[in-house]
Amino acid sequence: MEEIVNALARALSFGTPLLIACLGAILNERAGVVNLGVEGMMALGALAGFAVAFGGGVGDGNLWLAVLAAMLAGGVAALLHGFVTITLQANQFVSGLALTMVGLGTAGLLGKRFEGQPLFNQPPEWPFTLGAVGLAVLLTFVFYATRLGLSLRSVGENPAAADLLGLNVSVVRYAAVVAGGALAGLAGAYLSLVYRPSWTDGMTAGLGWIAVALVIFVGWSPLRAVFGAIFFGLLYYLQFRLQGQAAIPSEVFASLPYLLVILVLALSGLRGQQGNAPEALGKPYRRGER
Amino acid sequence: MRKTWLLGIVATLVLGMGMAQQANLKACFIYVGPIGDVGWTYAHDEARRAAEKAIPGLSTQYVESVKPADTLATVDRLVSGGCNVIFTTSFDFMDPTLEAAKKYPNVIFAHASGFKRAPNMLTYMADFYQIYYLNGLMAGALTKSGKVGYVAAFPIPELKRHISAFALGVRAVNPRATVNVKWINAWFDPVKAREAAEALMAEGNDILAFTEDTATVIQTAARRKVPSFSHYNSMYKYAPDYVVSGQLVDWSVIYIDILKKVQNGTYTPNNLQNVDYWWLAKEKAVMLGAQVGMPINPKFEAALKQATLTVNGKRMSVYDRVMELYKDIQSQNPKWDPFTGPIRDRNGVLRVPAGRRMTVKELNEMQWVAPGVVGQVPDEPK
Repeated sequence: MEEIVNALARALSFGTPLLIACLGAILNERAGVVNLGVEGMMALGALAGFAVAFGGGVGDGNLWLAVLAAMLAGGVAALLHGFVTITLQANQFVSGLALTMVGLGTAGLLGKRFEGQPLFNQPPEWPFTLGAVGLAVLLTFVFYATRLGLSLRSVGENPAAADLLGLNVSVVRYAAVVAGGALAGLAGAYLSLVYRPSWTDGMTAGLGWIAVALVIFVGWSPLRAVFGAIFFGLLYYLQFRLQGQAAIPSEVFASLPYLLVILVLALSGLRGQQGNAPEALGKPYRRGER
Repeated sequence: MRKTWLLGIVATLVLGMGMAQQANLKACFIYVGPIGDVGWTYAHDEARRAAEKAIPGLSTQYVESVKPADTLATVDRLVSGGCNVIFTTSFDFMDPTLEAAKKYPNVIFAHASGFKRAPNMLTYMADFYQIYYLNGLMAGALTKSGKVGYVAAFPIPELKRHISAFALGVRAVNPRATVNVKWINAWFDPVKAREAAEALMAEGNDILAFTEDTATVIQTAARRKVPSFSHYNSMYKYAPDYVVSGQLVDWSVIYIDILKKVQNGTYTPNNLQNVDYWWLAKEKAVMLGAQVGMPINPKFEAALKQATLTVNGKRMSVYDRVMELYKDIQSQNPKWDPFTGPIRDRNGVLRVPAGRRMTVKELNEMQWVAPGVVGQVPDEPK
């Protein structure tokens, strides 16, 4: 029993940043914009959060401000992606990849002075975890039970129709992209403030990419994202918990998360979940074009 | 007006050339990780800065997070930028460094932790195995469950040597204790290190040690009030109440020695075939400690003085034993070494006959592990 509780606790702890980042990506993808820059935005958020929490150098900055700064950093980075893909109508995939590289590089460069510094005012884990699950519920409600959600989804499914109905496609998409970026930033802050309270270059370690894959796995559903994140967290923890207990080489366990991403994508492909994708996902909207 | 400009340019050029001549020694460093990893690469970079301060006329440059496959291209760039001494600081840079040494016979190469050399390529290593044994003694004294956890990077000889020395120390105090190993198969992956540490604690390990490049294990252990050992750098500040001791490195003594000998002409691109640094506590390349100047965290002093072990039929405190051995390995002629026979591996095969010590070559190629080590160990000879 204790074992199960322990494993679930680890799954939730590891799953929290995944869930937050995944919800952010679901939000912007529901509006029709793919953002592969999650990893980069997470890195920027992690740095901004740490920098503020570190405060004047004694590690006693305001944690609320730190979280806010992380969300702001992610949001601003996403705004850039929005400008390139919505206003300039450039390729969303290329812009997102660029954002990841720029984000990782910038965070690494600006973070030099924080490297090797410990953080003493660590926030507790549970508000983040609870908040993330609450957000999933809230998003589900907004998506399916409010006018706002309807607008958002119609912009992602059929922007031309939404436009005809008097919705400003650009504004909706901008809002969704920036909100998604802010959530990616928050996921980063969880890493640098809670999960491993410190700043190191490359500390996002591919979590942003797992979040991107998770979006497809859960079929763009916020509620299913909760279970997806816990599932991944559990497997991640179990790869170490089972190591040495089963006669399987550790290298196999090490490759598990990657194999899993592939397996998960293949499975969701088989289940036809790609069909769940918003109809206009990845396509820039040009007024008057069909 | 225009003349002033020209004059300025000429002056800058002349000054620049003058400086270039003065700084004829340019040492360049190729790092495998980011300099902020708080571990291996961070320690090398601290030493680089120390060497720059200590040697007049020396200029340095570094490239971080270099993948082994990009080593040669990085060397090309550094050589064309005027580097005449190049340090490559990862085991997997060994073959590309050898290739680079053949390509640039006039450049001096130095490779850390490897065993391949050339007339213009030496090898060097600051090794911890003796220090790990001392930390093992402390871990053996402090564990209540008899289970000591170990987060390990890759199953290579270096780690098997460290884990085995650590386990020998643990068992010298607590003959029934085990050292439980989890491999993360990465030098730098804080996320994996955290979950591996969590898994070890969930399995009942009440002391943690590690060989990987971050402070994650320290932080994770402290959160659950579990004592741990610092690795590579002073990690005391991360958890002042829970870091017992640890192994610390000072690469600068090696770098300064090599660069001074290059500068005064002792080392040339033709005479390095047999130059291998294997520096330990004696040379002050490694130290015991929670941080520099603190061999043992005072918070654990009482417990370590209370715990005892038998040495040559005589009971003595673990604290005294650690201090005695540490003093010995720091002396000019150490009498003690953890890998002194008879030592059997965990399968019962005699690996070091009675009265013999393992050679540096044997330590570098070690594939077996000591009794007490629990967990899968790849490439272990039967």
